[in-house]
Amino acid sequence: MTKTNTAELATFGGARLFDQPKSTSNLVQPDFERFLTYSKQFFNKRHYTNNGPLVRLLEKRMADFHQAQFCVTFCSGFWAIAVTMTALALKGRSEVIIPSLSYRRIADLAAWAKLKPRFCEVEAHTLAMSARTVAPCINDQTALIVGMHPIVNCCDAAGLVRLADENAIPLLFDSVESVYECCSLGKIGGFGDAECFSLHASKLINGFEGGYVTTNNEALAGKLAVLRGFGFLGQDHIVLAGGLNAKLNEIHAAMALANLDELDVQINRNRERYERYKRGLAPVRGIRLVEFDEAYQTSYKNILVELLPDWPLSRSRTLAVLHAENILARPYYAPPLHQKKMDYPHIPASLAVTDLLAERFMLLPCGEFVTVEDIDGVIGLLDLLYRHGPAIEAHATS
Amino acid sequence: MKTHKTREKSFALFGAPPAFEKPLPVAQLYFPSWERYEAAMRGIFERRYYTNQGPLARQLEEQLQQFLGVKHAICVANATIGLMMAAEALNLKGKVILPAFTFVASAQSLSWCGIEPVFCDVNPLTHQMTPANLEKCLDSSVSGIMGVNLWGGTCDPAAITEFARQHALPAYFDSAHAFGCVVNKVKVGNFGSVEVFSFHATKILSATEGGCLCTNDDDLAARLRNIRSGYGAGRPVDVLKTANGRMSEAQAAIALLSLEDFPENQRNNERLRQSYEVCLNSIPGIRVVKPSGVSFSNYQYLVCEVDEKLLGFSRDVLLTLLKAENVICRRYFYPGLHRTVEYISKQQMGADLLPVTDHLCATCLQLPIGAMVTLEAVETICDIVQRAHLVSELFQSVPTQGRQ
Repeated sequence: MTKTNTAELATFGGARLFDQPKSTSNLVQPDFERFLTYSKQFFNKRHYTNNGPLVRLLEKRMADFHQAQFCVTFCSGFWAIAVTMTALALKGRSEVIIPSLSYRRIADLAAWAKLKPRFCEVEAHTLAMSARTVAPCINDQTALIVGMHPIVNCCDAAGLVRLADENAIPLLFDSVESVYECCSLGKIGGFGDAECFSLHASKLINGFEGGYVTTNNEALAGKLAVLRGFGFLGQDHIVLAGGLNAKLNEIHAAMALANLDELDVQINRNRERYERYKRGLAPVRGIRLVEFDEAYQTSYKNILVELLPDWPLSRSRTLAVLHAENILARPYYAPPLHQKKMDYPHIPASLAVTDLLAERFMLLPCGEFVTVEDIDGVIGLLDLLYRHGPAIEAHATS
Repeated sequence: MKTHKTREKSFALFGAPPAFEKPLPVAQLYFPSWERYEAAMRGIFERRYYTNQGPLARQLEEQLQQFLGVKHAICVANATIGLMMAAEALNLKGKVILPAFTFVASAQSLSWCGIEPVFCDVNPLTHQMTPANLEKCLDSSVSGIMGVNLWGGTCDPAAITEFARQHALPAYFDSAHAFGCVVNKVKVGNFGSVEVFSFHATKILSATEGGCLCTNDDDLAARLRNIRSGYGAGRPVDVLKTANGRMSEAQAAIALLSLEDFPENQRNNERLRQSYEVCLNSIPGIRVVKPSGVSFSNYQYLVCEVDEKLLGFSRDVLLTLLKAENVICRRYFYPGLHRTVEYISKQQMGADLLPVTDHLCATCLQLPIGAMVTLEAVETICDIVQRAHLVSELFQSVPTQGRQ
């Protein structure tokens, strides 16, 4: 179905373009039999959690996949990052450097790790933090740098590694959106002191809920494995303070393994969707697709667009019109973290570039619920919005 | 499985084949049949709804509310994260009192929230904390009391709550051991500000990993839901910080089946327990600890106290000789939290400040009870203990696991 005039827009009472919501969540599903075959392994051993056979297998597979020596799984990406932050932060120092234009919970994570977030800028052309934007934030209280890859393409990991090394500050990459990616250093997963990933259903590898950390540091891997299980090393022996329960259960591991097996097929589907967007959006004015850097391996998963100065509607109006059609597009990391109310200790920041960027980008529907025909529908609608922007604005405010 | 060994030295510890061919786990480990598992997972795959407070998580919360007679059941990723969320939602600061005789997660949940745990002692018979124990730990920086319900019994949560009220403090409960238990016709889950259950595989209600917060306080429930995640947050309220505490559809599916099986699994636990009690209580030096303060117990733990003088050898020797027979029993809890690496320096404990806890940590043993345990297995285990007692002199010089 294509809408050709503004009266047909759902926001003005027309029928919705999509009966089912089209979201930015991946929600990839593996072959059911494959999932069951994995499930049989824990079921037959009656081992449902606590470092079970599938968790161990998943850790080996993910370490190999990321070309890292070690992988430690967690119940979620959130707690993977929190625990790793506590394990890596330099003792006696209070600050963690994170980009403001990033995951909405990352400042909360810093608070759980009892660190004060110091927000850094990003580069306008990559939306990513860089050695240049991080360097001014380093001081004698810097306990940790969280190197955060943006949603499309990678940050300059090599530059951050160098900066962290020069300053002897630990570097933890938040690579939640970069599972499949490569950068100039190679395959994501082996850089800095550790890298964190999510197995949430909305991510590239759906494990219901879950997360994992990769590292080449054996001592750190051992420490994380102990901390996620209350600090126990074997029965009765609590060897580390700061433990909790952050274990991944076996069903979630089975799901992640089944999806990992089918990852290349998924990437092909993602690529097909991405290319459909790329072709379709090229002639649409006022909007720019943030393209994947195909010089490196990439997942083609997320669809990010920039609303250019000649786009006729505000982003919030654009999103409202899209939502009415059941197109659940999302603003890109907005509001940025430094603009949000925070009642825990943090360093207030003034970040002009971030402020500007936080107004301009949005994520379009992607993932397994989105067909190429759906994409044509989304693009057609965006084209309609561009061509009739002033009329839509006038109608909406009348 | 081998039947009774008759010769005095027929113990695996001394080279005989173990009584059990495979290790017999200590924990509950109830799980649905493969057919039910497959059907539940197929349903999830058909709905394509995997997490973020999906239909099964919502159904589980409704059924738990009904089962427990509580206004709000809020399911979470695991009980430790649940306890952390509770401390956050109650806005606890400074110090919180809890017993040292509990699982380490109770105290860790406080440490993660920047709160100092203050450890009280417990009653030597029931193993539960009492208002008298709490009284000794009160000071002006205490902001709350974490009651802990142990062994399928309770610490008299009404009395603990009343004590807290008298001191204008909130009381909340770690009820990881007490799902389904009843106190004076009231189900555990209805006491204090909030109670936290564990749905770990080792518990009677299993989600493999999981847990649930229960409260009758609407505002507290709203805070907890907003802390848990944006999904299923309900009424938006301000919270200091969020935690990812979501329960997935897979976890909820297993918990729903487990809830369906609760009556049968409880009866199985009770049957096994009765058999243990009959056999073990006739052995000098062994006392099976009764769940206290409840009219109905889930019997998810079988814990006994070992009197070395009467039995003829120590708890740690008993543990070693049973493990050799492939009986995976545990010292539980061990060590007392005031003596763990995490808390020992903070407490500056004198050697005898928590004498009951120290005694229990040195004498308690948890024996297998649950899905993997048969009545025959109970007989075999009891028989090993009985025979060992009769030749206790053989075990005088058995080396045991080192102490922490």
